[in-house]
Amino acid sequence: MTQEQTPETRFAQQGDSRGSARVSRETISAIAVAILCMILLISARFVSASLGSWAQVETVLVLSSFLVVLSFGQGLVILSGGLDLSLPATITLGGILATSIVGSGNPEAWWLLPAILMVCAATGIVSAVGIVWLNVPPFIMTMAMSIIITSGLLGYTMGTPRGAAPEAAVALMKERLLGMPAPVIFLIVFVILGWLFQSRSIFGRYLYAVGTNVEASRIAGVPVNLARILPYAVSAACGGFVGIMLVGYSNGATLRMGDSYLLPSIAAVVIGGSSILGGRGTFLGTVGGAILLTTLGTIISALGLEFGLRTIIEGSIVLVALLLLREELFQRLRSMLR
Amino acid sequence: MLNIAEEAASHGGSSMLVSSGLGKAYGATVALENADITLKKGRVHALVGENGAGKSTLVRILTGAVRPDKGAIYLDGQPYVPHSVLDARRLQVATAFQELSLVSNLTVAQNLLMPRLPRGRLGLASTRLSNQAGAAILEKHGLSRVRPDVQISSLPLADRQRIEIVRAIEYAGKVLVLDEPTASLAETDWLFERIRKATAKGVAVLYISHRLAEVREVCSEATVLRNGRSIASVDLANASDNDIFEMMVGRRAHAERDAARVAPKLAEAAPRLVVDGLAGGALRNVSFELRPGEILGVAALEGQGQRDLFRMLAGLDKPAAGSIALDGRTVSLSNPRKALKSGSGIAYLPEERKVEGILAGLTAATNVALPVMPRVSRLTLISSSAEQKLARETGEKVEFNKRYLNFAISDLSGGNQQKVLIARCLATGAKTLLLFDPTRGVDVGTKQSIYAAIRAFAEEGGSVLFYSSELPEIVQLASRCMAFYGGQIFDSFEGAAINEQDIVAAMVGHRGKTEEVA
Repeated sequence: MTQEQTPETRFAQQGDSRGSARVSRETISAIAVAILCMILLISARFVSASLGSWAQVETVLVLSSFLVVLSFGQGLVILSGGLDLSLPATITLGGILATSIVGSGNPEAWWLLPAILMVCAATGIVSAVGIVWLNVPPFIMTMAMSIIITSGLLGYTMGTPRGAAPEAAVALMKERLLGMPAPVIFLIVFVILGWLFQSRSIFGRYLYAVGTNVEASRIAGVPVNLARILPYAVSAACGGFVGIMLVGYSNGATLRMGDSYLLPSIAAVVIGGSSILGGRGTFLGTVGGAILLTTLGTIISALGLEFGLRTIIEGSIVLVALLLLREELFQRLRSMLR
Repeated sequence: MLNIAEEAASHGGSSMLVSSGLGKAYGATVALENADITLKKGRVHALVGENGAGKSTLVRILTGAVRPDKGAIYLDGQPYVPHSVLDARRLQVATAFQELSLVSNLTVAQNLLMPRLPRGRLGLASTRLSNQAGAAILEKHGLSRVRPDVQISSLPLADRQRIEIVRAIEYAGKVLVLDEPTASLAETDWLFERIRKATAKGVAVLYISHRLAEVREVCSEATVLRNGRSIASVDLANASDNDIFEMMVGRRAHAERDAARVAPKLAEAAPRLVVDGLAGGALRNVSFELRPGEILGVAALEGQGQRDLFRMLAGLDKPAAGSIALDGRTVSLSNPRKALKSGSGIAYLPEERKVEGILAGLTAATNVALPVMPRVSRLTLISSSAEQKLARETGEKVEFNKRYLNFAISDLSGGNQQKVLIARCLATGAKTLLLFDPTRGVDVGTKQSIYAAIRAFAEEGGSVLFYSSELPEIVQLASRCMAFYGGQIFDSFEGAAINEQDIVAAMVGHRGKTEEVA
């Protein structure tokens, strides 16, 4: 605690300072997450000497690139007031289409990859149409879509996905560029573009508006339907892209390759300071959340903890983050910073 | 007899509730600094002040919704520290909130009786008994026309407010707090009757309202709040309107009504908006024209179709029949975005500021610029300086303090939020404004700023269609006025013919002048 703030001292401080000292909630959480990340990476050294090295940082960044892309899409959907539970399915869809269409037979045909993303995006649009026009709750609609996709893939592959990774995907995940792993460069570019889209573009602003209040946005002249549909398309495309990345990274697809990414994709967004109810949050916060989760995952693996335990820890972190990120904490932080 | 003396002592002005030195801050924002107020048994005490003066905070403290940071309250001589609204109600202090606190998907009876619904034989809540008990309460308060078994959400706003008031009265054994009780009531007779019945039983009433005439009619004394402090408690009989106004805002009021305003030079111009035979919802066959430079007022009691008219023109509802022509061309307004972009543009200021108006988490500047994002952007990237500039310049037209531009709009007072929303309408560049009750629940100072902005807009050739629940506002602002009754235009008034008495008569369906208005 800081020194006790009695009402009297607060009243005394009250000059014309109401506007000047406003630190936004999003900025604080982004900073808090970044600091936490650093502490984790540094303290990881005490766990094992191999952790905390530059090579280790590179590994964490490469691993976190999956989650960053994924939680960008999930973040947009959440920002617009929805939720996408079909991400594991779209990851698998992207991965399997990449290996079976591109990977088997014409591995050089990189131009087929955008077409695969389009197919993924189409599934997102179908979900969105159900949500916006048929008023199906987002979690039911996307979960149904998820089951449909997964079942379809099971039939399509007859249970055993074939084919190898497309060359472009392998290149993206395995090459080195400018002395860094290519995924790290990709990550930096993606984060900049994602940030511009969410925080600076007109469409990003519409998402904040729609996530805050659909009716008021409609009256204010925001293209409400577009702003509610597009995030699902983007999210599904992101899922598909992560599928392709995973294929490039591990040289093959499985029918369950996306399963472990659903909770982290939501967790990264929430830890990054976004409101799970929509209308609030920044992409930079989400990126911090994704890196934090990946760091934590790496440390847990290094400690030799089991997968089950890892999931328990992840779930607990989301809960704690939700509890900590409530308004009061930020008010206290704000008055401390003054 | 002795009893009479006792009666006089208990009903005739001994203190029921005394509070002193109340203060409350939310983070850095001091909402209430130092408020003293004394409510007497059987008296109606007014609380007046501009928006942001701390009225709502004081109400929330008295009703247990918020705990004060400092100060003390005594109820009937005992320290009074309510932990919640229900706790306060248990101590017989009940409130009718301005932002109604009814549960909209429960029935009228359930809302009146919650949290203690009557139980049937098996100990389960009984619908039948609830409805009976609810009907009895409604009957007692002269609302037998409202059915106890309908959902709150299906009632018009005015009836919802009446239910809110009835519920408060039912639980107010000692203190009744009425926060802007007439905000959506077109007539006050029913309310004042209820208040008189309550005071006759010795209940102390705190009455919060912006409408001074009303306050004078029903209250005997008033406490004036300014900037979170109680400036004075005055005996209303000895204080003029200007005295109170001065205490509220710290300056003298301007002259009330400008000379009858007409804009003759524009009268010959071609009409901008032509509505022909429009119907739908409660609206039945309405036709009128709106010219450039004209401020057209709509006067009506609740539910006479005015809301449907505005929503159709704004592109929110589909007309069942009739046509709308803008700039001489028939238009189909299927959504608000289309209304904004059709011809010279139609912008709409919605009725419920909190629900349909503001976008709570976004800044005031973004709230202004939202409909015209492409105008403050380059290559789809928003330029924050262009956004600020647009919001600042438009904000100046409604005297919006630019210091608040980067505040989340939800942190602003109701009056400032309204200024932002009007600035948004102006920023769209639309030449036709639809303002539904533009000064609802805002303070006197803000009202003047809003009137000035509307007039300036019309003088530059803009057209305004506005509805107001306050007649003086129509008299003061409108160059022409239509009175709606039963979903139709019952009568129209122009220029000097606009006066309150005749409009009131038309609003209740009386063609003749002001003889017998039942």
